[in-house]
Amino acid sequence: MVPAIEMRGVRVEYRGGGGVVRALDGLDLTVQTGHVFGFLGPNGAGKTTAMHVLLGFIEPAAGEARLLGEDARRAASRERIGYLPENPDAYRFLTGRELLAFSGRLFRMRGRALRDRVARVLDLVGLDEAAAARRIATYSRGMMQRICLGQALVNDPDIVILDEPTNGLDPFARMAFREIIRGLRARGKTVFFSSHELSEVELVCDRLAIIAGGRLVTEGAASGLVPEGERLERHFMRVVEAARERKA
Amino acid sequence: MMRWLVIAWAVWLEVIRRKDVYVLLVLLGTLLAVVLSLNVFGLGGTSRYALDVGLLLAWVFGWILAVTVASRQLPDEEERGTVFTLLAKPVTRFDLVMGKYAGSWSVVAAATASFYLLAAGVTAARGGRVDFAALLQAVLLHAVALGVMCGLGLWFSARLHGDAAAALAFVVTAAAFLVVPRAPEFMTRQTGLAAAGLMLLYHLLPHFEVFDMRRRVVHDFGPAAWTDVGLIAAYGFALCACLALLAWTAFRRRRFSRSVP
Repeated sequence: MVPAIEMRGVRVEYRGGGGVVRALDGLDLTVQTGHVFGFLGPNGAGKTTAMHVLLGFIEPAAGEARLLGEDARRAASRERIGYLPENPDAYRFLTGRELLAFSGRLFRMRGRALRDRVARVLDLVGLDEAAAARRIATYSRGMMQRICLGQALVNDPDIVILDEPTNGLDPFARMAFREIIRGLRARGKTVFFSSHELSEVELVCDRLAIIAGGRLVTEGAASGLVPEGERLERHFMRVVEAARERKA
Repeated sequence: MMRWLVIAWAVWLEVIRRKDVYVLLVLLGTLLAVVLSLNVFGLGGTSRYALDVGLLLAWVFGWILAVTVASRQLPDEEERGTVFTLLAKPVTRFDLVMGKYAGSWSVVAAATASFYLLAAGVTAARGGRVDFAALLQAVLLHAVALGVMCGLGLWFSARLHGDAAAALAFVVTAAAFLVVPRAPEFMTRQTGLAAAGLMLLYHLLPHFEVFDMRRRVVHDFGPAAWTDVGLIAAYGFALCACLALLAWTAFRRRRFSRSVP
């Protein structure tokens, strides 16, 4: 079976600070279809860069990235992808409904199918009729997060890539978000998300990977990755510090 | 629907909802009313004078709109971070650049046509004569010139911050308006490097003066030959195609900074 996400020896370098910064240093990662995959790492570990490679925003200096077997650099590979960026924003001059319709049209959806899908997504992300008819400029942070998640789900994607999706959300919004993720898993979708909220990750993920310094440090089933008697937070700090020491 | 058309439609909605065009339309109406009520050099109330001022303002407002609307399209996407959600869909950078170009060009052209309609309407209401065939040619050629201005703004903004791109586009278009038509005259008085520089500017910058049919309309010279209009439009479209290509080339490999709204 073709993996949902595959990265092989991906290296990304930036020029800056008088030298070359290696954001990803030969990253290897495989995410099988139908998993909820937590992608963890300290700040600057390369999580967002890895996602940007997967979405074709960044061309790696070496290695390759594939989505459902297709080269991630090709626009066609994004037909079955949904993406929610970190600190998402949207066209504030549109209403929530218009934004979802705009997003749907970019997937060549139209007519009744588009209208039905927009209504379904609004229901899924918990925005009622009144909210959908309002300009996004008037939305609260939680509503903004919901409508941006909506635009990521409008094409009923097979892979959903979420970058820090619970940042700044209140407990109710987090709970609602968890329900959406569980719903996606129940429908066989692959969810790949990064987060600093380790408790959140523990609650929803089947598998976890930790990266540090642009390299994969550890990866495995969420239930088996953390040794007995240790909490994920402690384990995370231990493996990241060990990776840093090795690099130093 | 083609993806770039969807993006162009979003540009229309943004410009319409930002209300810039309405403000300029009201300003144009107010200025025309002032022009008609004042008696400067004994011209007060002269319909031809009102048309002259109206078309001049249509050029000035069209210029301002074209540069500001086109220059902010790509940088705004990056600043808001919406470029990531757009490009995470099966939208290519070519679709994005073309959509932004088509959207800003068409909305600015439509707004400018409304300025012409207002100026012509005021003139007709004051009993002045407006040759509508010449007016149509003037609007068409002006629309093509706006495409060139939008193209410049978009090209600069593919690499620069929105404000820097707009400032540069204003300088280049103003130089093209003011210097290029008189460059041959200046060249006869220069030698060496200065003459070569002027020659380069003359060939490099767009010749906006060829798109300007205000005099024909105001002084009722009648329409120009359609073949001439076609040739000028072809020149303008060729410039637009070059600018679109330059904008796409500049944007194609752009690495975006992460936005924090």
